[in-house]
Amino acid sequence: MNLGTRKILDRSFTAVGITSITLMALALLVVVVPIFKGGIGAIYFKGTIEHRKLQYNEFGKGNRLVLDRQIAESEPYREEVYRMLDAFEAEMESMEPGEKRNYSSKYKKVRDILSHLLGPLPGDQEPILLRYQYGNTRWEQAEEGLHKLMFVTKWDYSNPNEMAKQYFVPRADEFSGTALAALFPYMESSLEKMLLPEQTFYWGFLTERSLDAHIFGGIWAEIQGTFFLAVGAMLFAFPLGVIAAIYFTEYAKDNFFTSILRSANSTLAGVPSIVFGLFGLAFFINTIKVSDSKSVLAGSLTLAIMILPTIIRAAEEAILAVPKTYKEASLGLGSTKWRTIVTVILPAALPGIITGGIISLGRAAGETAPIIFTAAVSVGATIGLADVFTQPTPALSWNIYNLASEHEAANEIRHVQYGMVLALISIVLLLNLSAILLRARISKKLKG
Amino acid sequence: MQMTAEEKDASKVASKSGATRDIFLPPERERVKDGGKPHVMAKNFSIFYGDFEAVKKVDADILSKYVTAIIGPSGCGKSTFLRAINRMNDLIPSCYTTGTLMFDGEDVYGRYTDEVQLRKKIGMVFQKPNPFPKSIFDNIAYGPRLHGVKDKKMLEGIVEKSLRKAALWDEVKDRLERNALGLSGGQQQRLCVARTLAVEPEILLLDEPTSALDPKATAKIEDLIEELRGSYTILIVTHNMQQASRVSDYTMFYYEGDLVEYAPTKQLFTNPRDQVTEDYITGRFS
Amino acid sequence: MAETTVIDDGKKSEAFVLSPEKLRRQRIAKFIGEGFLLVVASFVAVVVLFIFYFVAVDAIPFFQQRGFAEFFTSTSWYPADEPGEFGALAIIYGSGMVTIGSALIAVPLGISAAICLSDVLPFSVRQYAKPVIEMLAAIPSVAYGFFALVIFAPLLQNYGGPILMWAWWLIAGPFVLLAVIVVGDVLTSGNDDSSKRKTMRAVLTGVLSIIAVVFLYWAGSALNAIQILSGTNALNVSLILSFMALPTIVSVSEDSLQAVGRELREGSYALGATRAETLVKTVLPAASSGILAAVILGIMRAIGETMVVWMASGNSSHIPDPWYNYLDSIRTLTATIAGDMGEADQVTGSARYHVLFAMGLLLLVFSFFSNLISERIVVRQRKILSGE
Repeated sequence: MNLGTRKILDRSFTAVGITSITLMALALLVVVVPIFKGGIGAIYFKGTIEHRKLQYNEFGKGNRLVLDRQIAESEPYREEVYRMLDAFEAEMESMEPGEKRNYSSKYKKVRDILSHLLGPLPGDQEPILLRYQYGNTRWEQAEEGLHKLMFVTKWDYSNPNEMAKQYFVPRADEFSGTALAALFPYMESSLEKMLLPEQTFYWGFLTERSLDAHIFGGIWAEIQGTFFLAVGAMLFAFPLGVIAAIYFTEYAKDNFFTSILRSANSTLAGVPSIVFGLFGLAFFINTIKVSDSKSVLAGSLTLAIMILPTIIRAAEEAILAVPKTYKEASLGLGSTKWRTIVTVILPAALPGIITGGIISLGRAAGETAPIIFTAAVSVGATIGLADVFTQPTPALSWNIYNLASEHEAANEIRHVQYGMVLALISIVLLLNLSAILLRARISKKLKG
Repeated sequence: MQMTAEEKDASKVASKSGATRDIFLPPERERVKDGGKPHVMAKNFSIFYGDFEAVKKVDADILSKYVTAIIGPSGCGKSTFLRAINRMNDLIPSCYTTGTLMFDGEDVYGRYTDEVQLRKKIGMVFQKPNPFPKSIFDNIAYGPRLHGVKDKKMLEGIVEKSLRKAALWDEVKDRLERNALGLSGGQQQRLCVARTLAVEPEILLLDEPTSALDPKATAKIEDLIEELRGSYTILIVTHNMQQASRVSDYTMFYYEGDLVEYAPTKQLFTNPRDQVTEDYITGRFS
Repeated sequence: MAETTVIDDGKKSEAFVLSPEKLRRQRIAKFIGEGFLLVVASFVAVVVLFIFYFVAVDAIPFFQQRGFAEFFTSTSWYPADEPGEFGALAIIYGSGMVTIGSALIAVPLGISAAICLSDVLPFSVRQYAKPVIEMLAAIPSVAYGFFALVIFAPLLQNYGGPILMWAWWLIAGPFVLLAVIVVGDVLTSGNDDSSKRKTMRAVLTGVLSIIAVVFLYWAGSALNAIQILSGTNALNVSLILSFMALPTIVSVSEDSLQAVGRELREGSYALGATRAETLVKTVLPAASSGILAAVILGIMRAIGETMVVWMASGNSSHIPDPWYNYLDSIRTLTATIAGDMGEADQVTGSARYHVLFAMGLLLLVFSFFSNLISERIVVRQRKILSGE
């Protein structure tokens, strides 16, 4: 081949390599950035007066006087809406039955949207579910609601070869010539005055319980559940893993039995996470019955056996990285093998062992599949420390799935889902970041 | 095994196998008090790595309170022999010994021997300085603490004494709490000597203690050996023949696992009896 | 003692020779201690046995009740019916499909990234690239699943055609152009006259380039016209799974490339090879078995993954039509276990419950053998490289 061509090939080869690395970095950004952006939206957003009412009524947070003043401020604009509705209802009474029937279903739709926006309207039954007791707490949702009020969504099926297209028709057209026609321009111009949106930092998202299945409120129960499960798993796996690593590095003889044990370790590392879930269900819950049904304990045990191989490997590596001279020096001073391990080798290996532990902790916190059948519930209150032996718990990982895939109002609580994902990713990435930094410090220290 | 009074007094100490070697005590003025008794006695002692015989049927007595140097080309078994004395070779799974090695009149490889107690009495300093990643104080106190000294005052005393003996006290007395890895290489090595002295051993094994050091630090270690001579039985493995002739009273020359010659240092260097020894010390091979 | 003690300075410390009694006690203590360590270390092996046993024990009743034929050959999956139908073929096929799909993306990308990390990038850049890979590995699978379902699926559904077209241009474009240059070079290299050869090559390359661009454009617009009915499909899942398999493939391959010594590379450079030639002809063959192990481990990660496929595969248990249609929804073993256990839980002991364990057993056996094979491969490579 021509030398020029060979050089072009060489350059392209390099380019392919660098592109792949870049693609991986991009993949990370593409996944993390939208989640970060969306997740921030759960904490920092334009909150309406409904948000402040909810906070005051349910959590006792906020200033009563300010709230009262704002309610008084927004009330006149709302009254105007109620007046328009009354006027239209009166008008409907005087309509012919056919016309009335035609309008009543359309009017009901308007009322639904309005009560969703502003909270229960006068004349509505006092709703039981909390989600119907308040209007939109978030301004961007209110804007969506306003759009829904202003326009009727229609689908264009005219071209059978293509997918149907969406288009919008002004809702005002449906009521032209009636008393309600004035409502639509009025809502558009005055919604802000009815809801009084202001930028809100809602730290309670991280520290408050959820209300009405995450329609309102925070994710504390999930955060705490994740913490219990991950720390519980570490309590079991960490000591076992470190002891096993000591055996493998310092005591195991190079024989068939040892190679079986090592093989078992890598087999365990390769078991699909969902199979751990099956095993946890079949063994911990159905066979030895650590709890009657799902519990934090069963979940932690399941997660513990899942992260055990990682901990063993990391601890082994850390112990093997301790210079042999330390061991010689200690033995040379007349120390026993065990004391050498405890007083010299383990302290020197500790940062490495802890790094492995931190990464495993992150993994335990992020896993979903092993806890589906053993520990996680979709809706649940915060549990106390004493309940971990008997009670299941919500957890970030499981509830992200649950809210995103199975929640009846999944589309309306995207911000909660994003917030949960951000919380989980932050926990895991911060743990990993600290592990990376710790490791960098160790390698610096070993270099002297 | 028992020494008769005549033998103790004799300037000529016969090794147990007798005729093959004559070992003379140094001239009167260089003699050390109470020294010159066989402290470690090897008899028909061999060391194997698997099938390989690394040290072959050695017969030798190491004399107490004197400095004995072990020289020889790389791979001749000198380090192996040294490490056999405090059983550091136990760390190598394939390593085993035949024959006997006596220390203080007891069999080092005997059935009832506890290698941990043994190592307490036979201290060792390694090729590369290997302080623990702890403070200077904790490094020295490590041994005494192992053997049950808990009293802070007592530990302080031991640390000071050991550091003084190792001629390091003046340099580090103000920073005992600092990490030992911050010391220079030579200081680290003296720290290792001090750490060994802190457990009050009877024998000091030095395995090429200056090979990782610069000439200045080497000189300090050599001075230190001179200081310790007469208080401890010292064995030093060295690559450096000048060093051997400078610091030792006796020299063993190993070649391919054989103890070729064992004589007072002056004699070995001025008047070697074996052709191989002469070739080695005159630099015909190394 | 006194009799045999040569040195007697009056302050003899403890003897290093123990009494038989003390020695026995010491030996027993040591035995107990090491026994304890051994028991703890064996715990992992016990757990592995237990996992196999307990999954198998709950899987066997299914095969006893229903036999093997239906499970492995039928595509009718109606576990809720009375009597239920438990044909898992489509589900096994779905698992295979996303695994192969993700491998097709992750393997070339991962290997070239590994080569880049081990041989191309300077150390300073590598320091930053490694944490990126670690972060990619650390992100929990449910977060990837959320991304696939909430962010990526709508994009794919609304802009599927343009996305495919852009991907086609970006990926195929450079390779096709490169192929044109190489083909032009190779076809004209037989000619001896140098100036004539140059003109011939220029002409040939020009003609080929036009053909290539036309081809690229034709295929690109065909892709642009594609409409994706549902964003939760095999393509979506394969892509996300490939993100998750990448870190494993990259780091294990890189280790294997690093294990190939510098001497081998220098030997090739000294003969006048370019870096690409050195890597492709010398280093990659030497590291091939380790890279194969990396690929196997990456595939295991993809096939065992639950949350992404559960959330974003569409969960419809049929074999896509045509069989290679990655834009169709599928269902996998892992997602079926996760999704159906909720309903099957209450009827512990029914075929519906046991069939999920049968699927678990299938996954377990697969991962066990993959692991065994990759382990063997790594051991063999280590032996070859160390010259044993």
